[in-house]
Amino acid sequence: MLPNLLRIVSLCVVVLTLGFCTPKSDDKSNLPVIDSLKMVPANQYVSADQSPMDISYYPPEFPQHKLAGSSKAEMPVGRVIYSRPHKKGRIIFGSSEKSLCPYGKPWRLGANEATEIEFFKPVVIDGKNVRAGRYVIYCIPFADKWIIALNSNIDSWGLAIDAGKDILRTEIPVQQQTPAQEDFTIVFMFATYGADVVMAWDEVKTVLPLVFSP
Amino acid sequence: MKNILSLAFLLMVSLAAVAQSKLPPIDKSPLDISYFPENYPVLKIQDKIPEPLIARVIYSRPQKNERKIFGELIEYGKVWRLGANEATEIEFYVPVKINNAKIKKGRYSLYAIPDSDKWTIILNKENDTWGSFRYDLKKDIVRMDVPVQKQGNIAESFSLLFEKAGSGFILNALWDDVKVSLPFSLQ
Repeated sequence: MLPNLLRIVSLCVVVLTLGFCTPKSDDKSNLPVIDSLKMVPANQYVSADQSPMDISYYPPEFPQHKLAGSSKAEMPVGRVIYSRPHKKGRIIFGSSEKSLCPYGKPWRLGANEATEIEFFKPVVIDGKNVRAGRYVIYCIPFADKWIIALNSNIDSWGLAIDAGKDILRTEIPVQQQTPAQEDFTIVFMFATYGADVVMAWDEVKTVLPLVFSP
Repeated sequence: MKNILSLAFLLMVSLAAVAQSKLPPIDKSPLDISYFPENYPVLKIQDKIPEPLIARVIYSRPQKNERKIFGELIEYGKVWRLGANEATEIEFYVPVKINNAKIKKGRYSLYAIPDSDKWTIILNKENDTWGSFRYDLKKDIVRMDVPVQKQGNIAESFSLLFEKAGSGFILNALWDDVKVSLPFSLQ
């Protein structure tokens, strides 16, 4: 009983704190860095996140393959580190400003920190060479296409995207999928030309092809 | 050992094949990331960075779930991946020192050998691997013993977080009623 009470009280504290943290102006120092999704008071040190982080590798499951000895490679080709928000009955992509990710507005492809993609060797995206290294990846969603951008402003929170630091932009078509997917997902998949980065949430799926240099 | 690993791997792959039509679900021990300086990405977009980026750790966060952790779930005297799933990764953006050993900037795996009164923390150069199952002593960079601090507050989720300490910094590891602190200095 007492622990439950504590939980309710601490939840109230977090809700109140979040209320006070809501920005009142466009001042950069007041950016809403505490996201509404991130409010589980479960641990007095660092709460486990509502939109937990995850990691995907190419080749898929690289660490497991390395462990099992079925991959002799020291390094993977790529990996993505992103947070996974849930749909929770909300409208995700749409033209309404009430959509979580409105058309035409940059979205961090996740939650919390800007999503990070790292290539351990050079790749080709849309005919353009991309050097090995670490990038922020984000999108600008539309009904029929997404603009995908790689950006050099790494280790930043995902709410303030500095398009001036884009190093590449490309457009990919939107595919519909059913059933709707609850958790946002990014995975690498095998492709004859290299790999596909599959990004899927709700009823939307997009694929970014990566070509590996010989 | 190798056969068991291969068998376990085959099992994983066949399970993955069954689930192929579905994309991977959220993990029970979710991944998380901690930076030093603390909250670096947030401070960065607010133009409030106190000092350049020094370190970050990427780890998975298992839950206590009413289990006794150290001495039972995590056995004393055995190498533990300091998290779950992939081996925990620590990256230094500048050269640092642990236990007087100079560490070059770069990515490393971090392991621990817990005991009742002390933990041996291990920095190892084998990256991008799963767990501590193939932990290779020969790839150790440095080891350091740190004392176990008992604490009244129970940490439900395993936590790794950095803290400023003098001219250097500390990486705190907390789970259940145990806390250990690994000190770093800057070169």
